[in-house]
Amino acid sequence: MIKKIVFFSSLVLLTSGLCRAEVWKAPDQERAKERSKQVVPFIKEYKDDHKIARKMSLMDAGISLNDVQDVYFLMDSPIIKDREDHYGPVRFSHKRHANLAKDCSKCHHFRPKDEAALETTRCSACHQDAFNPEYPERIGLKAAYHQQCIQCHQEQAKGPVDCKGCHLQNVPDHKQLVQLPDNPDPFQVTAECLRCHDAQAEDMLTTAHWLWKGPSPYTTGHGKEVMHGKGTTALNNY
Amino acid sequence: MDCLVCHDTTGKYKKPGPDAGMPAKDIDLKLIAQNVGHSSRATCGACHFNGGGGDAVKHADLSRQLLKPNRSCDIHMGGYDFTCTECHETRNHKIAGRSSSVPVVEGKVTCIQCHSEEPHYCGSVLDHHLNNHAKTLDCNVCHSPVFAKCKPTKTWWDWSKAGDKNRKPKKDKFGQPDYDAKKGEFKWEESVVPDYAWDSGYMKRVFIGDKVDMNSDVINLTEPVGSIHDPASKITPFKIMRAVQAVDADNEYFLIPHLWPRNKQDDTAYWKNFDWEKAFQDGMDAVGLEYSGAFKWKETWMYWRLDHEVMPADMALSCVQCHDSLKGDKTCNRCHQDNRDVDFKKIAHKGTDFSFMKSQGRDVEHLIEKTDYINFKALGYKGDPILHGGRFKKLPMGYEKKE
Repeated sequence: MIKKIVFFSSLVLLTSGLCRAEVWKAPDQERAKERSKQVVPFIKEYKDDHKIARKMSLMDAGISLNDVQDVYFLMDSPIIKDREDHYGPVRFSHKRHANLAKDCSKCHHFRPKDEAALETTRCSACHQDAFNPEYPERIGLKAAYHQQCIQCHQEQAKGPVDCKGCHLQNVPDHKQLVQLPDNPDPFQVTAECLRCHDAQAEDMLTTAHWLWKGPSPYTTGHGKEVMHGKGTTALNNY
Repeated sequence: MDCLVCHDTTGKYKKPGPDAGMPAKDIDLKLIAQNVGHSSRATCGACHFNGGGGDAVKHADLSRQLLKPNRSCDIHMGGYDFTCTECHETRNHKIAGRSSSVPVVEGKVTCIQCHSEEPHYCGSVLDHHLNNHAKTLDCNVCHSPVFAKCKPTKTWWDWSKAGDKNRKPKKDKFGQPDYDAKKGEFKWEESVVPDYAWDSGYMKRVFIGDKVDMNSDVINLTEPVGSIHDPASKITPFKIMRAVQAVDADNEYFLIPHLWPRNKQDDTAYWKNFDWEKAFQDGMDAVGLEYSGAFKWKETWMYWRLDHEVMPADMALSCVQCHDSLKGDKTCNRCHQDNRDVDFKKIAHKGTDFSFMKSQGRDVEHLIEKTDYINFKALGYKGDPILHGGRFKKLPMGYEKKE
C-alpha cells in the first residue's frame, strides 16, 4: 500500500513538474482574451447627465482607483472584427489609465438609465454597431474607441495618436501574392519583395540596420553627428 | 537587401556565418517568401541573441531563452508574449532603442512609455513610496535584481591569453569553456548582481582612433554619464563586460585585429595564423589608421544597461533588501503612527525570493538574506538613506541623532 502511495505521489509530482514546464500563461492576459470576445447586451437608455454632474456623482459615490478590478484589457471586439479585420488586438492598461486620469468620468461619461445597473459599464455596452438606425445619435464601438483615445492623447500630449502607435496591422497572406519560380536565387526573392515594397526598401536604405551607422544623440561630445556606428567608429571588447 | 532575415515566420531561414550574408543554399526560399510576416523574437534574436559570437555572450539579458521564456525569466515576453517591436516601436524601418553598446539611436524605448511615471498603483500603502523611488531608481534596479538569470553570460574576456593551441579549455560549473585559443580566456556568470551607476541616459564612448589614457588601469569603452546631484539621473543596473585588449603603444588608440580569414590564402587573419602583429597591421589598414608596430594589453570595461529580463512584480526587491536599517523594525513606526492593519513584514520584507530561485537551480545562494543590495556608499550616499537622508531630501530635524 505504501509503495502504491509513493508510486502515485511520485507520479503526481512528475506530472506537475511536467505541467510547470509548459509555457506559463499570464492570468490577466487570459482573462483579457476571454473578455475581448464577449458581446454584452446593448444598453438602450442612458442617463443624460452633464459631464460635471457625472464627474461629481462618481466622486460622491466614492468610486476610486481601488475599485478598478480589471487592470488590463485586450481590445479586440467581435463587434468590430466581424465587419473588418485589419489589426491585431490593442493592449490597454485600464488601471494605469485610471490612475493617470484620476477621473473615471473621462471615459465612463454616461451611465445606464436603469438605476440598478452598475455605475460604470464597458464601452461596448453602449457603443456597438455603427449607424444603427434606431439609435442614430450613438456612435459605433470603433468610433467611440478612436474618439476617446485619440482625443485624450492629443489633449494630454501623451500616448499614441497614429494607427501604428496602438495597432499591429495584420499581414495579408502572401501565398498568392508572391510570384517566384521554384528554387529562386536570393536576388530574385528581393526583387519580388521590392515589386510591391519599393518604398519600404527605400526606407530601409536610410536605417542603422542597413548603414551600420547613424545619429548618436545620446553620446556625449558626438550628439550632432550621424556617422558613428558598428560600420564606422564603434569599438568593443568582445 | 535581405528582407527575409527579419520577416521570416517559418523559422527555416538560415544564414551560414562567413558567407557574406548570403542565405544557406539548401533552404526553400520560395516557401519562406510566401510566408512572410512581422518580425518576431526569433528573427530579431537571430542576430541580437548571438551578439559577441554566441548565445547570451554579449547581452546578459538577451538569449535564446527568450524564444519561449518562463515568466520569471521575462514577464513581458513570457506569458504576455510581447514581440520586440511592441516596445522597440518601428517607423519606416527605423527601430527605436537606445543601446548602450553602440552609439546609433533611432528613437528611444523606456519603461515609462507604457508604465507612466507613476507606475505603482495597485492600491498598496507602499505605492507612494515606490513611486518616489521611481524618481531615483531605474525600474530594473528592483524589478530585475540579477542579470543573466536564465543563461550564463560572458563577463570576462582576456584576448591577451589567446594563441595557446595546447591549452585545453576547462568547463566551468555552468558547462561553459574557460578558454578558446582563437579568443583567449573567459569567465561566465549566471544570475549576477549588476553594477549600479548613476545614469542620465547619455553615454561617454571611446571610438576608433580616439586617444586613451595609457596610465589608467582600466579604460572604459562605454560608461554612463550621470550624477547623484542630477535630478534626471537614476541609479541604473549595468552588466560590465570586462576584457583585456590591445592598444597601439605609440599612437595610444585601440587596435582592430583582423580575425576572420577572408579565404584559404589569407595569411594575416588571427583566427588562422595566430600572429597578432599581422592581424593588427591588416586590421588597422582596413580602418585607415597607422599601426606603430608596438602594442600593449589594456583592461577595458564596457557598460551595458540592463533593460530586459524584467521579473514578475512579486519578485521585485523588497525594502529590507536594500535598507538594512529596516531589518530589525517590526512596524512602520520609524516614520508613521502604528496601524495594526498594516502587515509590515509582508510589505517590507517580502521581496525577491532568492531561496526559491536557488531551488530552481539558479546561482544565487549568496544573495539570500543580502541587504544593502545596491551598495549605497558606492553610489555616493553616506549610507542607508533612511538613516542619512536622500540625495535631495533632508531628514526631519534631529532625526540623525536618534540612531
